[in-house]
Amino acid sequence: MFSRIFSSGLTRRTFLKSTAATAVSAGLPGAALAQGEPIKIGFLAPLTGAVAAWGKPGLDGCEIWAERINEAGGIQLSDGAHPVEFVSYDNEYDPAKARTGATKLIREDGVSFIMMLGGDTWPGVQPVADKTGMLFSTLLPSDLSPDTTTLIAPAEVHPIYNVTGVEWLAENKPDLKTAVMCAQDDALGLPSVATYLAAFEAAGIEMQSEPLLFDPATTDFAPVVTRLIADSPDIVCLDTCYADYVHPICEQLFQQGYEGQIISCTADFYDQMISKTSKEFMEGFIFQFPDFDDPALNSDQVNFEDPNGFYAEYAERFPGQWGAVSWEYASIMDLWKAAAEKAGSADPEAVIAAMKEGGTGKHAFGDANWWGTELFGIDNALVGDWPVVVIEDGKATIKGFKNIPEWYDKHGDLLVKHMKAYDQMWDQRG
Amino acid sequence: MLKYLLWPIALVALLLLPHGLSFSQQEILVFLTINVLLVSTYRLLTLTGEWSLGHVVIMGVGAYASALYTKEFGLFVPVSMLLGGITAALIAILLSFPLFRMKGFYFLIGSFAAGEIIRLLWKRFREPFGGPKGIKGIDPMPDFSIGIYDFDFFEPISYYYFAGTIVILCLWVLWRIEKSPVGLTFHAVHWQDKLAEASGVNLRAYRTLAFAIASGFAGIGGALMAHYVGTINPNSFDVEVMVFVLTWAIVGGTGTFYGPILGCVLLTVLNEIVLREMGFEQLRPLIYGAILIASILFLPNGLESIVQRLTRKEAKS
Repeated sequence: MFSRIFSSGLTRRTFLKSTAATAVSAGLPGAALAQGEPIKIGFLAPLTGAVAAWGKPGLDGCEIWAERINEAGGIQLSDGAHPVEFVSYDNEYDPAKARTGATKLIREDGVSFIMMLGGDTWPGVQPVADKTGMLFSTLLPSDLSPDTTTLIAPAEVHPIYNVTGVEWLAENKPDLKTAVMCAQDDALGLPSVATYLAAFEAAGIEMQSEPLLFDPATTDFAPVVTRLIADSPDIVCLDTCYADYVHPICEQLFQQGYEGQIISCTADFYDQMISKTSKEFMEGFIFQFPDFDDPALNSDQVNFEDPNGFYAEYAERFPGQWGAVSWEYASIMDLWKAAAEKAGSADPEAVIAAMKEGGTGKHAFGDANWWGTELFGIDNALVGDWPVVVIEDGKATIKGFKNIPEWYDKHGDLLVKHMKAYDQMWDQRG
Repeated sequence: MLKYLLWPIALVALLLLPHGLSFSQQEILVFLTINVLLVSTYRLLTLTGEWSLGHVVIMGVGAYASALYTKEFGLFVPVSMLLGGITAALIAILLSFPLFRMKGFYFLIGSFAAGEIIRLLWKRFREPFGGPKGIKGIDPMPDFSIGIYDFDFFEPISYYYFAGTIVILCLWVLWRIEKSPVGLTFHAVHWQDKLAEASGVNLRAYRTLAFAIASGFAGIGGALMAHYVGTINPNSFDVEVMVFVLTWAIVGGTGTFYGPILGCVLLTVLNEIVLREMGFEQLRPLIYGAILIASILFLPNGLESIVQRLTRKEAKS
């Protein structure tokens, strides 16, 4: 008797059904929503701590997105319109807390979809995803593998888009022929190192030395920068360093008299970097994340709705806090909303099927393909165009859009070679 | 009479506890149970007067060892957990050779350096430690049934019962050690080291013994965590986590066996449940810090001093 009561042997379906009674009003994934009942979306990312810069601005962006959608009538499912509501959980970039957060969001809050930063926290959540069948998104496609069937990377294909910056650099400044690179030695830094190495090799730019990997606990960047620029490279590449590293490294480059080209994945809060160095020093700095007040985003190919208005609203509410992720989670929601409306349901299985129908999707920067079997073992990454951004006169400016699959078709073997060298292919990870 | 009823009542309360909690609170309860073991082992180490900054890394040694024993050699999870604890104790014995040439503040810094060296080794060697990304896909505890209850270790309640049983056993052993002549000698090594040495006590051997026992049980705690979360990485055992352990011990007080446990339980509930439920999710570090400062200012002997005052009053009346 007890055995039957306590018996678990859970499958996705029985799991969802068995917890439905407990989560009475929560509206579990798959369970029908009452008319007009809000659709809850989980936001499971670091909101405090060292990695908060890639979580908190995204949640702020989502709140603006939700207000806009709700004002426009909400999300239209087959049973009518539903407002959307975000439920957040601060995972502090800790896998154990991420697991707790995923459990809470699914089993107590009854969310229909969970957005994550990913990285170190995904392996803690993966058993929960496997058991529940919940649809998750990550900003880091290196989380993808053939096992992660309910994990998608629809906004950013980090670090593959970094090839676009190097490609643009090689086309526009062909006289720059030597480069050096530094990165933190972690799950975010290493695949990016492999990508930049492939991009430099494809562009005919010679690496003067092996990439300089520093410990993520590093706080004094003077010796790192001294070693980096010892051979007077034409280009210094800052890989995908966290903002906490990019700022002091740039300060050190400035103080140690470096006058060459800098390229980086991100330049979050670049206005602060300019104030710590100078406008002249930061002129020409190449990175990958535009401000959304850029006129280039008003082109027809861009699918993100009213980017300039979104940026203006964001800047007014959270002055000085615009960063790489401010728009990304919101753009994932654009994709999720379109898929849910197409499916007429918020059920995770129906949404992912609608989202991937035809193998294409509407990425923020243009129509894109579901891609990634070679690199990630599964085509759950949405890949298309990506902008190249350059600081001009103290302001981030889009210099053009480059197509990632086109680059991969030409140089994919180089990327695979370097990814393998750094043990970053999906079958080498973990 | 009440004294004899107290333990059965506490046991029943612990058995029923998860059923009164929400799913996420049950998850937190699992981690809290493991942390209770961690902070109690830390107290055993402090009995000899030495405070370490490498204890969480030693817990990590147990976690990594247990994960690797199951992954590489296919050992049964409970056996690998036990071996994880033994590995942590052996590493502690190795570390004791350089570390116990130091005392006090120097030992504190030395233990931090030793812990960082171990963490750097985990990061440096992708084989077998997985590098910065650590080890994932760690085998979970296999499900089983005892007739009246089916243990599904994905479910926090099942794992709480499993981990809780192990933690209670470990706490009982730690308690027996503390109350044994060996435990009394640990106290002597701390408070009367010259006298103890003059009486023939080998101070270094006893410090090493306390370090090894504390590390062994901390290693079991690490193994319990690794097989529940399914992933570990070097950041899971960094100095930030160690600061939490220190805080639990300091706020709870280290004068009694229950002091650090009290600190761990109250601060975890405050940080992970109360402040989150109150909607102060992003302000938690600020509020948590303020409460810490207040408790150190107004409760210099820790939370255990409140319990002691209350029980003394009760005894007088």
